[in-house]
Amino acid sequence: MKVFKLPDLGEGLQEAEIVKWHVAVGDEVQADQPLVSVETAKAIVDIPAPYSGRIAKLFGTRGDIVHLGAPLVGYDGAGDEDSGTVVGEVRVGHQVMVDEAAGLAHGAAGIKATPAVRALARRLALDLAMVTPSGPDGLITAADVQRVAKILAEAGPQEILRGVRRAMAHNMTLARSEIAPATIMDDADIHAWGPDSDITIRLVRAMVAGCRAEPALNAWYDGHAIGRRVLKKIDIGIAVDTPDGLFVPVLRDVSQRDAADLRRGLDAMRADVKARKIPPEELRGNTITLSNFGMIAGKYAAPVVMPPTVAILGAGRIFDQVLAIGGVPAVHRVMPLSLTFDHRAVTGGEAGRFLAAVIADLEAAT
Amino acid sequence: MSTVASFDIRYTRFLDPQGATTQPLPQFARDPMVLVALYRAMVLTRLFDTKAIVLQRTGKLGTFASSLGQEAVGVGVASAMRGEDVLLPSYRDHGAQLLRGVSMVESLLYWSGDERGSDFAVPRHDFPNCVPIANQACHAAGAAYAMKMRHEPRVAVCILGDGASSKGDFYEALNIAGVWTLPLAVVINNNQWAISVPRSMQTGAQTLAQKAIAAGIEGLQVDGNDVVAVRQITQEALDKARGGGGATLIEALTYRLGDHTTADDATRYRDAEVVAKQWALEPILRLRNYLVLQGAWDKNCEDDLNRECVELVNQAVEAYLATAMPLPQAMFDHLYATLPAALSEQRTAALYFDAAARDSHG
Amino acid sequence: MAEVNLVEAVNLGLAYELEHDPSVVLLGEDIGINGGVFRATAGLQARFGAERVRDTPLAETAIAGIAVGMAAMGLKPVAEIQFTGFIYPALDHIINHASRLRHRTRGRLSCPMVLRSPYGAGIHAPEHHSESPEALFAHVPGLRVVVPSSPARAYGLLLAAIRDPDPVIFLEPTRMYRLFRQELADSGEALPLDVCFTLRQGSDITLVSWGAMLHETLAAADALGQQGITAEVIDVATLKPLDIGTILESVAKTGRCVIVHEAARSGGFGAEIAANLAEHGLLSLLAPVQRVTGYDVVVPLAKLEYQFLPSVERILHAVRNTLEFT
Repeated sequence: MKVFKLPDLGEGLQEAEIVKWHVAVGDEVQADQPLVSVETAKAIVDIPAPYSGRIAKLFGTRGDIVHLGAPLVGYDGAGDEDSGTVVGEVRVGHQVMVDEAAGLAHGAAGIKATPAVRALARRLALDLAMVTPSGPDGLITAADVQRVAKILAEAGPQEILRGVRRAMAHNMTLARSEIAPATIMDDADIHAWGPDSDITIRLVRAMVAGCRAEPALNAWYDGHAIGRRVLKKIDIGIAVDTPDGLFVPVLRDVSQRDAADLRRGLDAMRADVKARKIPPEELRGNTITLSNFGMIAGKYAAPVVMPPTVAILGAGRIFDQVLAIGGVPAVHRVMPLSLTFDHRAVTGGEAGRFLAAVIADLEAAT
Repeated sequence: MSTVASFDIRYTRFLDPQGATTQPLPQFARDPMVLVALYRAMVLTRLFDTKAIVLQRTGKLGTFASSLGQEAVGVGVASAMRGEDVLLPSYRDHGAQLLRGVSMVESLLYWSGDERGSDFAVPRHDFPNCVPIANQACHAAGAAYAMKMRHEPRVAVCILGDGASSKGDFYEALNIAGVWTLPLAVVINNNQWAISVPRSMQTGAQTLAQKAIAAGIEGLQVDGNDVVAVRQITQEALDKARGGGGATLIEALTYRLGDHTTADDATRYRDAEVVAKQWALEPILRLRNYLVLQGAWDKNCEDDLNRECVELVNQAVEAYLATAMPLPQAMFDHLYATLPAALSEQRTAALYFDAAARDSHG
Repeated sequence: MAEVNLVEAVNLGLAYELEHDPSVVLLGEDIGINGGVFRATAGLQARFGAERVRDTPLAETAIAGIAVGMAAMGLKPVAEIQFTGFIYPALDHIINHASRLRHRTRGRLSCPMVLRSPYGAGIHAPEHHSESPEALFAHVPGLRVVVPSSPARAYGLLLAAIRDPDPVIFLEPTRMYRLFRQELADSGEALPLDVCFTLRQGSDITLVSWGAMLHETLAAADALGQQGITAEVIDVATLKPLDIGTILESVAKTGRCVIVHEAARSGGFGAEIAANLAEHGLLSLLAPVQRVTGYDVVVPLAKLEYQFLPSVERILHAVRNTLEFT
């Protein structure tokens, strides 16, 4: 039973006499409907029903004195006013909680070192990844840190890479982490070349032939979107070695230019690079790369493909090779070629056909 | 076989529920002005009590323990005490506290959850409310010992409930008071209920007063709704104690007309009709009946007193509601005489987070 | 100057305060003619009278409760609980009242009481006479918890405890009561509360302990010294409020710490010190902080008592582990 008690009558009044009930047991009452008239020291007052419901009990009859806080009327139904405590307030919430399945704990991985040893490494500006642990269970000890610090101190101060070298470090790290490189090597028989052949320009022309045969190698690949753009224009990045480091200026739109124009462009590029005058935009946007490292040394290589390009042709040192020509040995001049491609975007067959076209073009007399 | 010990428990009443005298009144009660003062104190207690309940119901006060129907116990006891005596209350004794000089604001602050409410401006040596049941009996014995050791003509007076009389502290305190002849008065406010446990389920003893016998001290029963009787018996006990006669246990029989606290609903465990009948025995009605019979009180007096007390209560409530919140450093500042260094970091953190909370709430 | 043992030092301290401060009152069971079951109060009733050295009935709750009442009235009660096995009924008044009386009255009332009790194991006593409940008290805001480990510190710290305006739980290691003697000037000079005492200087490892375990800890330090390992030995003395600064300074020097206490391991006060070291001294540590403690078992009766208590061997074992960690 839900019990409604005599509420505060105000003005310090403590009690009231029941004058007349307006409801009876069993009645359905509406909230605010008059329940009972009571007389206080001041006046006759109607007490309204606090809520709707069915009357279960009347506490007192006409003439009875009811005191403040004493039961007046009982309603049918459970007494949901039970506070469930005798002190304070215990909040009732209706949200239903569901236990989540606990995930498995994963074992700790990584470098093991106590905080003191870590702090020591920090103080000595030492990367803990460089330190081989000697403690139990792969624990790096302070002695380990001290040992490595000593070694490095004897090795002299570290040179922080800047400028072009720094850029190369960044770019190669990027390439290493993204590219799926594969390399094909072969030789071009350039015996038919005349004495004044412009090697670089011949290579540029051969690459155009290769791109015509297999446009897939003249493309930009986006590893995140898994998409590529096969490009019509061929802008070849030419690797240039300088005392400052590696530059890769771009020879633009090579398929539309004749040999003389290409030579002029190449010379201008080289001069600018040497003079450190080359603008940054000329170092960007190549669609394929040529590395003529044979001018220095080396035959074959697996040069690094720089994203977003998907191919780089490496030309090694031209040398004399004994070949079987028509069944008999003959000494011919040979250019070793290495083609590294990004296998995410280029198939072996495409790379092979590209290289075949390059070699075919190179083996022509002019 | 021979009897080696026996006891009597005396019961005292002067005024019956209708206000008629049952025996000649003690000296002080023959002066209507004294009785009117007692009446006023009881009315003020009840009006304060009622207001406190309203404040709790409207979210302006924390849990409150009403003394409805028991006003004569607190007022009777406190009115017999001297200023230099020490009161050790339970948590239902604002009747006694108000008469001792605790302000209504202090009482409200306590119940609202502010320690400043126990820093009484007037009765500087009275103990604060005691919530763990019956602990105050031991404290009272210790306080009485201090008074005795210093040869002071003071008495320690503790009030506790019928439930408290079952607790070890109660027995241990009485026992020590008996063997050490302490200047102590222990008053049991026997309002018949310990939350939902009625007196009949609290002990097999016929009276609570006779537990004194086991401690070797005097045990007396008194009609707890007769403020004259409560005052008189308390007075006698205090005089005895002051004179070196030791401790007394006084059981004041009354009735808890309200709930245990504002969070309790007594209709869960007791019959509303039984409670309604008890109203006929209540202390304020009784004294009013007597005073009216004596021609010393009428409706005008009642209205005037009511108005005056309501005004006092309202003023106190206003002052209480206007009291600023305590600052977070209050948690630290009286923990020790001097806050140890080990705690200064925590104090700083509390202040920091309080500032942050104030900032985030604008 | 005289050579006294720990319990005699307590007696001297009590006598000094009874003589010089008329508000000091002793209460407890059998403390009068009997002088206390360990003779801590021997001769005091004869000297100062029964009103100031009071035999109580057998009622530990009331002993603590009465002390609260006395203290609130301005006396300085020094209550004895005969054994810490019997201290639990007193917890009600200690925790609910003594610790918070000043706080809850905004300083209007206060509780300058001392509760002293023989504590700890090792005397082959019957059940319940070997308890180490210091962590229970150390967890209560508003209290001080003090544990002397020598006659001089018992005397000096007891004086400080009695003079302190706030409640102090003074736990006297029973096993040390008569274990050794020490020169003591009955000068009335108190030792400071709230600070640790560094008993030995060292640079290889910090050993932290309190109470009777200092006996084993110092023996361990001696053994280490013979191996060329110098141990710094710290007597916490005042567990609460904890002087972590002294311990941190030591660990900053040594980088290694072993805490020794006879109370059970889990939730023991060593955990509080270890947590503080992790929080404030992590970068000094070269090895994890070790605790050598009583096991998490009921203190066994006499036959297994010394299997339970941390031994010199167990301390050295922990020290070795710590030194060999890295």
